[in-house]
Amino acid sequence: MKVNKSPFPYNMIEKMMPSFGRIAMMGWMIVLIAVLVGIFVLGPAQATFFSDAKAVREGAAAGSAFVQANVSRHIAEAWVPQFKFFGLGLGLMAIVMALGTIAQKLREMGIVITNHMPKDLRSSVPAPPKTVRVFQLSTLMGVMILMGVLVIGIVLATGVVPSYWNHSIASELNPAVVGSTLLTQLGVVASFSKWLNPLRLFGMAFLFTGITLALTVIIGTLRLQAGLLVKFYQQATTKG
Amino acid sequence: MNTIKPPVSPWQMKVFPFFTILGWVFISAAFIVGLFVLTPNTISYLGGNAKAVRDAAEFGTPLLAQLKTITATPRWLEPLAFLGVASFMVGIALEFSSIPAILKNRGEVMKVCFPLLREHGGNNES
Repeated sequence: MKVNKSPFPYNMIEKMMPSFGRIAMMGWMIVLIAVLVGIFVLGPAQATFFSDAKAVREGAAAGSAFVQANVSRHIAEAWVPQFKFFGLGLGLMAIVMALGTIAQKLREMGIVITNHMPKDLRSSVPAPPKTVRVFQLSTLMGVMILMGVLVIGIVLATGVVPSYWNHSIASELNPAVVGSTLLTQLGVVASFSKWLNPLRLFGMAFLFTGITLALTVIIGTLRLQAGLLVKFYQQATTKG
Repeated sequence: MNTIKPPVSPWQMKVFPFFTILGWVFISAAFIVGLFVLTPNTISYLGGNAKAVRDAAEFGTPLLAQLKTITATPRWLEPLAFLGVASFMVGIALEFSSIPAILKNRGEVMKVCFPLLREHGGNNES
């Protein structure tokens, strides 16, 4: 049985496709880590920060437990959602990989059946549709976007977010004047989620498109193979 | 003689692209509004005005209008983005729902073709 090898980088993608189980597990573990961070970091930080009156927690000086808790919760909120979505993205990628493997096996089976037909009645198996390349690239694009979003989240969580929140709310953050570094940082800290959250879904859209197209390939392959068998049947019965 | 036909094009395959496109439209719209409306307004409102000025904003001022935009828009924009996700899922579900009929046809086709394969072929030449 001869199955043509795909060119680079598709051969790498196709080689990776059967390991969908490991990728799915990795995605699940990432989401589990996000849950654990929620339980052991974000939850306690929120609880500590809101454990006293507004005047006390906002009046607390930099370096105090309140300010530290405030920093921790904002850091976690900057990277954990991106990490979680990256895990979900890996789960969706695993689905595409599994569907891709099914399509690949169907094609191999189709070739085996065609090879059992007599040469004079045998139809040539068409080349894999271009959709295969599109779903592979769409999936790769989706995961890369989610990875990029995670990197941005980590950069924010290690840079501007702790830098802004590591101040007393009442005596430093609230009195910040126009043009100050603090007010500029507030603009960044308050606005990144407005474009980063939809960007995550944009990455997910590529992954959903990958699933949709992989299913189209499977359905197309099944219909095409049935068509080849019907053609063989008609030719064989006519021939007698 | 048996009469066999390849599977007919399922109706789901005609409908699913509509939902996939709808998913793209909703998610792209959410991204564009987030990037070009909410982000600049948030930066301008919070990063361009001291807290005292923001808190003292009167009815009808541009500051209050900005505050309205950055607080009200996400209330419908986020569900719209998730409607996009739901649209993708409907498209995927429609595609899956077309598979059983195709497999049923495949079974019928194979049932009549296998005796012929044994009769006419049976070799495994490539």
